Amino acid sequence: MRMLIATGAILLCALATLAEGGVLLSSLQRSLVLDSQIQNQLPQPGIAMAKAGDDHLVIRWSLNTTLQQTQADVDAIYNKVNLKLCYTPVSQTNRGWRKTNDNLTKDKSCGKAIVTQKYVDAAGNSTVWRIPKDVPGAVYFVRAYVLNANGTQIAYGQTTNANRTTNLIAIEPISGRHASIDVAAAIFSAFSIGSLLFFLVLESMKTMKSGSSK
Amino acid sequence: MAPTPPTWRLDNESVGEPGSSLHGVTGHEPTFLPTIDPVHEHDDQPGAPPTDLKGRPFKLPVDSEHKAKTVRIWTIHRPHMLAFHLSWFSFMVCFFSTFAAPPLMPVIRENLNLDKIDIGNAGVASVAGAVVSRVLMGTICDLLGPRFGASSLMLITAPAVFCMSLVTDPTGFVLVRFFIGFCLATFVSCQFWMSSMFNTKVVGIANGTAAGWGNMGGGIVQLVMPGVFHIIRHNIGSNDFTAWRIAFFIPGVIQVFVGIVVLIFGQDLPDGNYSELKRKGDKVNDSFKKVFLYAVTNYRMYIFALTYGYCFGVELTIDNIIAQYFYDRFDLNLTTAGTVAASFGLMNLFSRPLGGVLSDLAAARWGMRGRLWCSWTIQTLGGISCIILGVVGQLGPAIVVLLLFSFFVQAACGTTFGIIPFISRRSLGIISGATGAGGNVGAVVTQAIFFLNSSYPTERGILYMGIMIVCCTLPVCFVYFPQWGSMFCGPSKSVTEADYYKSEWNKDEQSRGLHKASMKFAENAKSERGSQHGSIAAKEGLEDANTKGETAV
Repeated sequence: MRMLIATGAILLCALATLAEGGVLLSSLQRSLVLDSQIQNQLPQPGIAMAKAGDDHLVIRWSLNTTLQQTQADVDAIYNKVNLKLCYTPVSQTNRGWRKTNDNLTKDKSCGKAIVTQKYVDAAGNSTVWRIPKDVPGAVYFVRAYVLNANGTQIAYGQTTNANRTTNLIAIEPISGRHASIDVAAAIFSAFSIGSLLFFLVLESMKTMKSGSSK
Repeated sequence: MAPTPPTWRLDNESVGEPGSSLHGVTGHEPTFLPTIDPVHEHDDQPGAPPTDLKGRPFKLPVDSEHKAKTVRIWTIHRPHMLAFHLSWFSFMVCFFSTFAAPPLMPVIRENLNLDKIDIGNAGVASVAGAVVSRVLMGTICDLLGPRFGASSLMLITAPAVFCMSLVTDPTGFVLVRFFIGFCLATFVSCQFWMSSMFNTKVVGIANGTAAGWGNMGGGIVQLVMPGVFHIIRHNIGSNDFTAWRIAFFIPGVIQVFVGIVVLIFGQDLPDGNYSELKRKGDKVNDSFKKVFLYAVTNYRMYIFALTYGYCFGVELTIDNIIAQYFYDRFDLNLTTAGTVAASFGLMNLFSRPLGGVLSDLAAARWGMRGRLWCSWTIQTLGGISCIILGVVGQLGPAIVVLLLFSFFVQAACGTTFGIIPFISRRSLGIISGATGAGGNVGAVVTQAIFFLNSSYPTERGILYMGIMIVCCTLPVCFVYFPQWGSMFCGPSKSVTEADYYKSEWNKDEQSRGLHKASMKFAENAKSERGSQHGSIAAKEGLEDANTKGETAV
């Protein structure tokens, strides 16, 4: 009897994970209104420019009041808000490792996690995020997933439109180079060529010596 | 009393002549009696152990040329075994440097903003340089010796490895990978060095093991680079985009270090370095035009250059793409993807030597027809496992198929070089070199066709590559040796080995006796008739060679 229950539980869990694994973005309601700005920068037309490692992103979100939802429904289900930095189509061309997939477990377009916060139903939800140094140079937008208590996505919001063409942020990456790396590379390269020349000269001196001593 | 200088030398043995640098590559070159003058002179006292020019006795049994008669892998006896270890290790280090970028590609592509086309171009560039440098290295080895050939190539390309740390855009990345790729020509210096140090009876094993262990560098790097990257990230605390740049100092420093070690401890020939030895004797120069002509008019060279392009070329392609493939398709992290990718290259430890052994076993029973069937079967199985690899979508089965695929593809390289020495005796060097270069051309073409295209994913590219392997192996069916037959036809009754190898010399050259070396080879080549005919004929052949040799003094 206990074995049966255990097997049943395992099967149910397996089924549950199967079911959970397949959340489709198109099935989610866009119930959050999201806004992002680069700190200390005035909003301007076109794509905003930010520097990785230096600039901060200020992200604000609130519930979309035009949708038909009772407050009680929302409070009961909405648990956490998961913010992510996502690629726009221009940064995805010829880069299969950033591909968009409607199935959220297979989607690779929102690789950079910003923050996960508890959902608080009040005005003034915001976060300030320092853009880390390992963000690649690309054009981004911000998306927020609303998670229920199980961690499954149940709603979302994003700073841009459905075609991902408005309110975009271009992040300028760091190069990763340092002066010390440049100097070390130059020294080692010089040493490499220098030691080869040294041995070549040594060899030709030996040949000349043995030639003259004959 | 110094021996009188002989009036003629082995054809193709003249220093610097095309073809001479790859003598011994395959280990099936004939063993000649001591009456034929080697490159240098030595005065062996009868009854005393052989010594080198400085009077030091050899630790290994040596023949009359002071080439070692055995390979004792677990020793570093000077000069033979030390040369063996320096040789395979320097080739391995060069493989390591050439393929140091692929395991870190997921980080590099984000730092340099590479797309699939840039990565594909860099992969093509990394193997394209060696097409030319492999051909040039043969002449460099002939003129300066393998010690200087290998070490100067390593020390000249080391700055390119250091420049990888300074790259900031796709163009720079492609250029740097191109220049680093030149060092894959150490394959030639490795094989040349082995053939200078080891007797023809064991040079096949020495060459096959050295080439196989060198190729392993492409596997080891997939383990080491992600590991170094993680150590730099976590223990030193650098961010991603700096850590991979620092990681590139590892292959660079190792390359410089090994280059210098080869210069200090290496020795070109058993008796000393090229510059220390005096060369005596007149030499008969073979005509470059003739050697080149007999190579390019032999259709078998083109067929095997093509097939080597689809076993060794495929191996190079996989070294370039496989880590990224496992990272992207199966969502492994950098280290795990590197480990899986490494397993492919590490199979070389035994796959390539085993391929040569299988070819020899097939020849013992069925002769050259057995070798051809062996080569076609193993390479076709490689193609089929490549097709399966492109189709499999689960991680476990994909790894199993990858290992099978690696065995077949690397064994196919071994079987190809079991057949090459018999294609021509006069033009062996050029044909071996062309086959080696064909391997790199295959890598260039395959990456350009299947892995630069962003309209289909990598797994489809692997599937198409598998189909291409199967198709490009079919020409082996058309290789026909009149004296031994082909895969589907028996030998012609009227043509013998002697006729085949004599046909490379015209009447005038034959009247001057220039073809005699080929005739001795033809006698030994009777072993390619298979067990029914080979053993008796080979015995007769050796006896004939012995008697002829004694009378030639």
